[in-house]
Amino acid sequence: MKTKIALASLLLAVSAVASAEALLKVSAIPDEAPTELQRKFAPLGQYLEKELGMKVQFVPVSDYAAVVTALNADQIDMAWLGGFTFVQARARGKVVPLVQREEDSRFTSKYIVNADSGISKLQQLKGKSFAFGSASSTSGHLMPRYFLQKQHIKPETFFKSVGYSGAHDATVAWVASGKVDAGVLNASVWDKLVEAGKVDQSKVKLLGTTPPYFDYNWTVRGSLDKKLQQKIQQAFLKLNAANPEHKAILELQRASRFIPTKAANYKGIEAAAKEAGLLQ
Amino acid sequence: MLNSSLHDPAHASRLAGLIATPLLLLAAMAYTGFNPLLLADGDTAGTLWRFVADFFPPSRDGAFLHDLLRETATTLAIASSGLALAVLLGLPLALLTSRALDRDHLCGDAPACPWQWLQRLLRAVLIVLRGVPDLVWALLLVRAAGLGSLPAVLALGLAYGGMLGKVYAEILESQPPQAAAALAASGASRLAVFGYTLLPQAASELISYSVYRWECAIRASAVMGFVGAGGLGLLLDTSMRMLNGGEVGSLLLLFAALVALTEGVSRVSRAAIHSRAGGAALAAGTLSLLALSLLWLWPQWRAAPFDIAGLWRFAQEFLRPTLRSDFLVQVGSSVLETLLVSALGSALAFIGGALLALPASNRGPRWLRAPVQLLLNFLRGTPDLLWGALAVLALGLGPAAGVLALAVHTSGVLGRLFAQTLENTPPDAEAALRHSGAGHLACLCYGLLPQALPQWLAYTLYRWENNIRIAAILGLVGAGGLGQQLYLALSLFQLSNAATLILAMLLLSWGVESFSRWLRQRLQ
Repeated sequence: MKTKIALASLLLAVSAVASAEALLKVSAIPDEAPTELQRKFAPLGQYLEKELGMKVQFVPVSDYAAVVTALNADQIDMAWLGGFTFVQARARGKVVPLVQREEDSRFTSKYIVNADSGISKLQQLKGKSFAFGSASSTSGHLMPRYFLQKQHIKPETFFKSVGYSGAHDATVAWVASGKVDAGVLNASVWDKLVEAGKVDQSKVKLLGTTPPYFDYNWTVRGSLDKKLQQKIQQAFLKLNAANPEHKAILELQRASRFIPTKAANYKGIEAAAKEAGLLQ
Repeated sequence: MLNSSLHDPAHASRLAGLIATPLLLLAAMAYTGFNPLLLADGDTAGTLWRFVADFFPPSRDGAFLHDLLRETATTLAIASSGLALAVLLGLPLALLTSRALDRDHLCGDAPACPWQWLQRLLRAVLIVLRGVPDLVWALLLVRAAGLGSLPAVLALGLAYGGMLGKVYAEILESQPPQAAAALAASGASRLAVFGYTLLPQAASELISYSVYRWECAIRASAVMGFVGAGGLGLLLDTSMRMLNGGEVGSLLLLFAALVALTEGVSRVSRAAIHSRAGGAALAAGTLSLLALSLLWLWPQWRAAPFDIAGLWRFAQEFLRPTLRSDFLVQVGSSVLETLLVSALGSALAFIGGALLALPASNRGPRWLRAPVQLLLNFLRGTPDLLWGALAVLALGLGPAAGVLALAVHTSGVLGRLFAQTLENTPPDAEAALRHSGAGHLACLCYGLLPQALPQWLAYTLYRWENNIRIAAILGLVGAGGLGQQLYLALSLFQLSNAATLILAMLLLSWGVESFSRWLRQRLQ
């Protein structure tokens, strides 16, 4: 009887371990509202569940740096990171970048301004208030700051005040409401909001675009099973816009297709972060 | 007939205070850019009004309400288990550090040297624990060891543990010492002296203070989500950031309900202490609340285990504060900004509190009393960070918004305390004036206020000690001061900068506490 119980509990324990293995915990930097992140991820999550034969769970997280910490602490298995958060995660632990959108190899940011301000050039923003997105954002903070510095604009002295809205769509809301005079955000989110008619063009105007740079990727923790890493990468690479089901996923991700990526792609971001004083 | 011997002996220092205070406040206004007239400005009022008008109707979206319920439960659970941890930490520390249990104090033995050093060390630990704001503890733990409600519980445990340790020790010291001295003289141990004399004497005061802290813990855990530590704060942060007025409206209603609920529970349990059955019910209620809380939080903790290794590495990086001079200059100006924001906000709240206290006490017209009390509850119950976010909407980013937020929130706190003072003031002086034919205003100015004023000033100074910690975190929502710099440093993993900023916060909070204690003694 005793052995039976022991056996049963062993089986239970094994199945518990196995079921723990069969769950992939995925998160994303919260560069847009949490509800929007969940909506974007849902079909991709279902697709990955089917392709990998395991449960996929989305873990919502409230700030960028927390995703980096969670990935480094093995609390999540895979995350959608920005270029800068990827560089941070790599500096603080072992992580492997798998894929990026084709668009991410030539990403840009958009400067926007409140329509009532009558401003039409970047230089006219002197003495105005300005919003970045999250402090840890590549397209909402790091790269715009880097390019502004190239034009001899130091945000802290050039602008009257500098704020961090926390997310790209929040930046648009801040500029539209007049909470700040101007701001900068991810070009892809800007295009999406404009297409969806979510930007009141009478209140917010486009001021300019930055030069291109490398951005977002999907990254897994270094300790994740190598075979599983390859399976995940293959699943992303297989997504094809000609397939209607895939097309829906790609559209939500705002990707034409996914391509393999490597850490070396983000050397430029790392250098920019050092020059902008955001990485020590 | 002027007679020089009848002159106010303190008139020189009074006059100096009367001139210096407004001058200092004006300087603070200039530095922080706070101008009360800005509030009357059409643009400002318009921006704020559009947002506030969106509060109605409050959001009734199904998914949002579902999240709201879940996070409310999490918030209550975080507050309850955090406070339990704080008691576990604070009570032993209080027993070790309280002078009320020292043999040299009780029966005149020569003090043992190593013991005194240990006590000094533990007191310093308590100062550090409570000197770092709970939200900053949460931010640190989230960065060090990952997400979720566990960092929030630990943060509350540490910050409130430091506070309880100090206050418990002081409560014990305020008890009549005869019984304790008798027991100590017969050779009883520290614990025995506490258990058989001071505990029975002080039990109801200890419990009622702990219940009050539980109320505070609920307000504190409601904003922990601002730094990724679970609970309602996450929803509030998102709704505020996205400027979604309807959702903020629902959250405000919920906060008001929570404050009312906890105050009710608090009142009932304070009354229950005095009977045996009530005490038993209170103990049973506390234990089951704690058990429910842990049951609710346990699955979250299992899903996201605490990263001990990360904590260790974080501590190592953290223990090397940046002392570069250019950075120190930057920190210095933020320290000054934080100090001025807290001082100006508290001073304005003194005026606001005084104006609201008259109608809220039994001195004003009867019909005005209930609405003003409701207003005070609302000002007090809405979390300070939310006031900060609203003030940023009205006045734009920067320290001026911090001043406004503190002034509004603290007016609610002080208004209630001031009203209590007025109600407790003996009416004799006023009555005497009235009988001699003085008018309403004269009765107020010469009969009532001179008696209430010292207490009012003491409350305001106490509150200022608290506000310096709030001013230090208002930067999280863009309202100036040290908070924004700290958040940036931690977001960018510049831990040595963060360490310097936290040291600055500690020094600032310790400095203000000492200055306020000195000023209170001068005023008495």
